[in-house]
Amino acid sequence: MSRIIALLASLLFSVQALAKDEFHLYNWNNYIAPETIKRFEDFCKCQVVQTYYSDNEELLAKLAAGAKGYDMLVPTSNAVQALIKGGQLKPVDKSQLPNLNNINPIYLNTPFDPGNKYSVPYAMSTTIIGYNDQKMKELGLPTDTWAVIFDPKYLEKVKGRVTVLDSSSELFAAALKYLGYSANDVDPKHWDEAAALIKKAKPYWAAFNASSYIKELTVGNIWLVHGYSNDIFQANLDAKAAGRPFQILQGMPKEGAVLAVDNMVIHKDAPRPDLALKFMNFMLEGKNSSELTNLIGSGNPNVDAVKYIKPEILKNPAIFPDKAVEAKLEQLKDLTGPQRRLRNKLWTEIKAGR
Amino acid sequence: MRKRRVGLWTAALAGYAFLYVPLVIVIAYSFNNSRLNAEWVGFTLDWYRTLFHDQDMLLAAGNSLAIALVASLVSTVLGTAAGVAMYRYPSKLLSVLVLAPIAIPEILMGVSLLIFFVLLNFTLGLASVALAHIAFCIGFVAIVVRARLAGMDETLTEAARDCGASPWNTFRYITLPLIMPGVIAGALMAFTLSIDDFVITFFTAGAGTVTLPLQIYSMIKIAVTPEVNAVSSLLMLLTLALIIIASKISPTLLRSE
Repeated sequence: MSRIIALLASLLFSVQALAKDEFHLYNWNNYIAPETIKRFEDFCKCQVVQTYYSDNEELLAKLAAGAKGYDMLVPTSNAVQALIKGGQLKPVDKSQLPNLNNINPIYLNTPFDPGNKYSVPYAMSTTIIGYNDQKMKELGLPTDTWAVIFDPKYLEKVKGRVTVLDSSSELFAAALKYLGYSANDVDPKHWDEAAALIKKAKPYWAAFNASSYIKELTVGNIWLVHGYSNDIFQANLDAKAAGRPFQILQGMPKEGAVLAVDNMVIHKDAPRPDLALKFMNFMLEGKNSSELTNLIGSGNPNVDAVKYIKPEILKNPAIFPDKAVEAKLEQLKDLTGPQRRLRNKLWTEIKAGR
Repeated sequence: MRKRRVGLWTAALAGYAFLYVPLVIVIAYSFNNSRLNAEWVGFTLDWYRTLFHDQDMLLAAGNSLAIALVASLVSTVLGTAAGVAMYRYPSKLLSVLVLAPIAIPEILMGVSLLIFFVLLNFTLGLASVALAHIAFCIGFVAIVVRARLAGMDETLTEAARDCGASPWNTFRYITLPLIMPGVIAGALMAFTLSIDDFVITFFTAGAGTVTLPLQIYSMIKIAVTPEVNAVSSLLMLLTLALIIIASKISPTLLRSE
């Protein structure tokens, strides 16, 4: 018996010992095109090993407890800020990143990481409106305003066919935008207004749903959602593949929306910071960056990528918004302790109220 | 009399239906010819074909199996020993020490194990996950084994000692065969606990270590395809096979008498 155990244990260890030149990428699932990985592996003569997380908090918790072995992480801006504060990141040597010039300057030097000391934009998504084109046309509803999610005048036509994200920050941001405030507004009076707006609209919504709304849209049970642009893009691909008679389209609200930028950062204990820098510069090349956009319909901060992106994605105003709307997109900032408590209180009232 | 039997049968059938209908649906939908998997479209084996070409998924499944095998083997040995010790030397402290990992919330256990590994400078990987799984499985095996021992006739071991058997021989030839059903049940329990654990695995897995639950969870973001049903069906088949093999090896193994 003990021999078997020894054998199995040694087997476990030897699997790890086989590691050669490996680049460890801690990433969202399906967030890099397979052909891009292959090309990078040929270029760096190393093997890309990916591990996945599905939530920024997961990543933060794991790293805060001291996990290491990851070279590169791809967190969203506010998580980048938290990681910097926690001393988890290694500054980026920008002399090694000639391709950084490809990034649209409006996505550089943000308050989350002034001067981009630690992070470089990777890809982005927005939180927008997704809809069933057939149903919305039949009902004559607009798809370019948050009013259709919040105003009972429109909502009564789609009662029970609408879902919103089960996320207090996203829903409050949308409501604040609709009311004409900043998504990062922290005035308690404005929050009360937003909460009142949400409470009035809530009876018309089918659910707070952040996980299965892609499927609900594609099946045709739900006609209108407040959701992430990448998810809605995926829903349309699914609908097409399933031969549905309708399309799932993206609507960019004219009031503006939440923008989430995911950034490449190097972990402080990265075993191979050299490969991480190589990867950064590689992903800043237009072609490599464009492949992700073509795969999942993500927004792209890379100016050089535009020429490689499929035309039907390029002309989608929700993925590549025009200048006027682009200026109204906002990245969410973290709330302070007292602000979060107030937000939670309002959120509990909203969820519990009938 | 007759009426009562009908009632009993109905209750039993309802109970079994509640347990098995969801599993049957998972298996049936693994043959569904629709990526969305929301309604029945048609029969296909495509998802099994996809699965056998999906390197990530296969690697994750392989890791999960290896970890579950090692974790169940080791924790069965240690857990049996702990169970016997708890029965022989009934002290409060011992039971608390062995059983605490069962009562501790998983997230706490996961985070503290991670901090512990980091403190020791232990490289996170398959080995750290296996160790963590062993740690939380021991308690479960120990409980089952101790319960089994409690129902054992103590005079049998005394008789063996009277006839001159050493403590080890008494254990090997008298106690162990008698508690074997408990040991096997404990091992199967450890195996299933290990193979589907998410929280503790998430924290103790290192860069590049993926197990099946981690892989499936990270796929939820981009919609779960019937491929997940396919891999779940195969796992169920495997567990079923394990139970059947165990009962074939010794028909009395899983019975209480």
